[in-house]
Amino acid sequence: MAARAAGRGLPSTSGPPSLPSFAKMAAPSDACSSSFLGLLAGSRDPGAPRRRRARGSRNRKKSWKCWRGPEAELGRELGAFLEDVGLQQRAAGGLVAEKPDESLFFLDTGSEEKDRKLNQGKEKPLRIDLILQPDSKVPPPKDVLAHQVPNGKKLKRKQRLQEKLAQQGLVPREQRLLQARLQKAQLATASRGEGEPEPARGFYDIWSDTNPLDQVLAGQDTWFLEQTKKQRVRRPARLKKKPSELPAVEVIPAGGSYNPTFQAHQVLLLQAHEVELRRQKAEEKLERQLSFPTAAEAPTQETAFREQCEGLLEESGDEEDDEEKMLREPPAPVATPLSTLLHEKKTEQQRRREKEAKALVARRLGEKAARCRRQELFQLRSIRLQVKRREAELLRRRRVRLAKRQAEATKPRRLGRLKYEDPDLEVQLSTELAESLRTLKPEGSILRDRFKSLQKRNLIEPRERAKFKRKYRLKYVEKRAFREVML
Amino acid sequence: MGGLEKKKYERGSATNYITRNKARKKLQLSLADFRRLCILKGIYPHEPKHKKKVNKGSTAARTFYLLKDIKFLLHEPIVNKFREYKVFVRKLRKAYGKSEWNTVERLKDNKPGYKLDHIIKERYPTFIDALRDLDDALSMCFLFSTFPRTGKCHVQTIQLCRRLTVEFLNYVIASRSLRKVFLSIKGIYYQAEVLGQPITWIAPYAFAHDHPTDVDYRVMATFTEFYTTLLGFVNFRLYQSLNLHYPPKIEGQAEAQLKPEEGEAYAMDSESYMEKLSALSSSLARVVASSQEDEVQVDEFPVDGESAEQEEVRKTEQEALETQKKLFEGLRFFLNREVPREPLAFIIRCFGGEVSWDKSVCIGATYDVTDLTITHQIVDRPSLAKQVIGRYYLQPQWVFDSVNAKMCLPVADYFPGMLLPPHLSPFVSEKDGDYIPPEKLKLLALQRGENPGEESEEEEEEDGNDDDEEDDEGSEGEDSEKEDEGKLRKLEEQRSQGKKLPVKVSAGTVRLEDKQRIAQEEKNEEKRLAIMMMKKREKYLYQKIMFGKKRKVREATKLTEKRKAHDAAMKSEKKKTKKARRA
Repeated sequence: MAARAAGRGLPSTSGPPSLPSFAKMAAPSDACSSSFLGLLAGSRDPGAPRRRRARGSRNRKKSWKCWRGPEAELGRELGAFLEDVGLQQRAAGGLVAEKPDESLFFLDTGSEEKDRKLNQGKEKPLRIDLILQPDSKVPPPKDVLAHQVPNGKKLKRKQRLQEKLAQQGLVPREQRLLQARLQKAQLATASRGEGEPEPARGFYDIWSDTNPLDQVLAGQDTWFLEQTKKQRVRRPARLKKKPSELPAVEVIPAGGSYNPTFQAHQVLLLQAHEVELRRQKAEEKLERQLSFPTAAEAPTQETAFREQCEGLLEESGDEEDDEEKMLREPPAPVATPLSTLLHEKKTEQQRRREKEAKALVARRLGEKAARCRRQELFQLRSIRLQVKRREAELLRRRRVRLAKRQAEATKPRRLGRLKYEDPDLEVQLSTELAESLRTLKPEGSILRDRFKSLQKRNLIEPRERAKFKRKYRLKYVEKRAFREVML
Repeated sequence: MGGLEKKKYERGSATNYITRNKARKKLQLSLADFRRLCILKGIYPHEPKHKKKVNKGSTAARTFYLLKDIKFLLHEPIVNKFREYKVFVRKLRKAYGKSEWNTVERLKDNKPGYKLDHIIKERYPTFIDALRDLDDALSMCFLFSTFPRTGKCHVQTIQLCRRLTVEFLNYVIASRSLRKVFLSIKGIYYQAEVLGQPITWIAPYAFAHDHPTDVDYRVMATFTEFYTTLLGFVNFRLYQSLNLHYPPKIEGQAEAQLKPEEGEAYAMDSESYMEKLSALSSSLARVVASSQEDEVQVDEFPVDGESAEQEEVRKTEQEALETQKKLFEGLRFFLNREVPREPLAFIIRCFGGEVSWDKSVCIGATYDVTDLTITHQIVDRPSLAKQVIGRYYLQPQWVFDSVNAKMCLPVADYFPGMLLPPHLSPFVSEKDGDYIPPEKLKLLALQRGENPGEESEEEEEEDGNDDDEEDDEGSEGEDSEKEDEGKLRKLEEQRSQGKKLPVKVSAGTVRLEDKQRIAQEEKNEEKRLAIMMMKKREKYLYQKIMFGKKRKVREATKLTEKRKAHDAAMKSEKKKTKKARRA
């Protein structure tokens, strides 16, 4: 009886047996329900002993304090025992252990059939369930999938084929690819293990076929690599050309030797001298233009006035001349036809005559052209000459263009706001030249030379140093202590 | 009819270019980063042909880039690294501001960095491409390696540059590929031939720095960053090509390890190896020990399309090169302390000589001044107190001039205290008709094996005899040898002439001369006729060319005369001063 009672206490999820779909669902749903409890966040296992929460108000220090120590353990055990005793007394009217067996157990002598008869009314299905039952006369469709696998025949055939192929030693494509990948990885690790340089190592032969940069992508499909952006974009061919044809290191002319020949040194000095002259000239020009005129040169009122009517006097003279001419010459007869002036309608005759005149002109022109064309046959020589001249001219132009291009190939270009300016020529005067290597004093700076060379070769644009610009004006404050001391 | 209105600046060159600022915004980089990226990737600004069109009607000068170049830059992974770095700096600044030192530490540990390997590979697809662009790299590295460590740039960069240049110098020594040296007032120009590519670079003199202010150090540092990476890869490849160890190992290292206390005075243990390497006095260890005699004669196949003459010329050139490579072989040099050690050691070792210096000058000295086997001592002071018999005391210019002349020059002009002959530039090559200075003429004659200007030398000896007699003693050995050789040659010539004497009597020779003269005359006549037959225009051109040539010759003669006059004046002045001194 106790066992049965326990069985009835369990939640019964199985529905009425008459519904096939429910019956099918029964097994998994049972499994679900057992695991369902554990998955929920707040759920507890019902079988596990309940952890007693500390009750009572927690607004005092005492209630927060944990009761610890061996006495506490003992006390807790004692409390549990007394509670148990109290429970037994309340439920069974005394301790269960002291009671005789007869008062606790009884022998079940009834038959199950009788029980069922007696309980018939109680096991009747609920009315609500009956209402909810489908009352359609059309039977539910057979669940075909319960008995057969979709595409089963095909799959079976496929499997058979694969088994057959496997016996012959052929593996399906997917597996083959997988295996290939595995093997490739192994190969890569093996080759690395042989002592090939790793990219992490500072140096390796970057131009060999087995350099670690290319090794990563070696042997893979280029299309795949391109599409997945694993391969670098190829460098365009136009970048191979250098922006200037000047050599990277321009050797100083022979006069720049630390112990030059007389002639070479003179040549270099002359060059430097010319550069200096040019610079001086430019400077003088600027000064002349900017200088304030002296008292003698300063404009007086008279000169200012003359300047103001500089063009006027002459112009007026011209005009007078013109007027005189006009007066002398008789006015040209105005030869405008009356008809055009009055916009009168042309007569038929006029129209006809104009037409004829036009035709005549056209005919004459055509005849002339034809005559010329005929005549050209006899001008072949001169035409040939013309053609020759033209070709020679084209050739000359092409040469000039080529020469210009070549000359420009080595010139620095205008790449920004500033123009490239040649650095000062490094020159030592005859008195500065060193007698021996020991006393040589180097001229110029190689760093500037390199920098200027980069600019000259159009690799970087000439730039001036960014000026420091203060955003706010500085404010000067005199400290009071300091001021007091001064006073 | 009509169709859509064509708008201005929406096609053509206006769309092919992009201004710098727009490009910068497109890449989302700061100007400094953009500039750095362009330098690293080798993207340079362009000057458009029609600026006004490109600039949408404005004539303001701007910096333009090709749009396609910028689109190419968009694919660069380094751009992302730059952005990451920007974020890193921002975070770091914030952490500093909040004084969260733990965060600062953590951020610093995870500092984003980038590598330039793939850019090197991309910009120089083959090794030869890289070699062609090595001039810049070397010059920059040599320059940076001499910088003082004062914070103008990172110390690591300077050290890296130093290491790379030393490695390269060691390679040049091992491969004996140096060709030309030129001491200029700026610095020392070198030219080496590596795998058939001439490579020129300039190295500054030591301690010659005043930092110019008009140079953008950031740009230079970026270039150097790129070039150091390049030079590292090139060095590795070069070392591999010679079967040398990389990183370089000094040959016979066991000895060096046995007595480390020797180098202690110069450098810490960690640095002494590098210092020894940079002393350039010891050769490098090879991966496979090569025997010296493994240079098997390779069968030579004539290049098709090459005549026998060309082939011969090539052969002679090659032989000359071989002899040049062994210029200083068997000679032992000693460098005095006032002499620039590094360039001299480098050059001497490049041509097979042995070199040493005083122990207190630098690490890596191999022998002492007192060593009796020393053949040349390089000295750069007006007079020497103590001299050892059996060696030449020479000024350093002798080494450089000998290298450029491809032969050991006569030593007499280079004794200490002598007025040195001018140091000619080996990078200048005169075309025929140009003015050639007499010094160069003398040199050329020497190279041909003649002994020109003996009388003038004698004259000079007369002049110089009284003040440097002791010096002459040292040189007498070689001088006498040379003289002996000259005498021998003369004797031989006389003998051969003597043999020819009977032949000269015969009529055949006379005919020969006649024939030559006739041929010459015929040639002249032909030329005259050809000129006569020329068209007017061609004749005009021809005359113009001839006039140009004559003018050149005239100028050259003028210059030589001028020079003669100058020399004479100098000589007379000298004599006068001497007389005055005597009186």
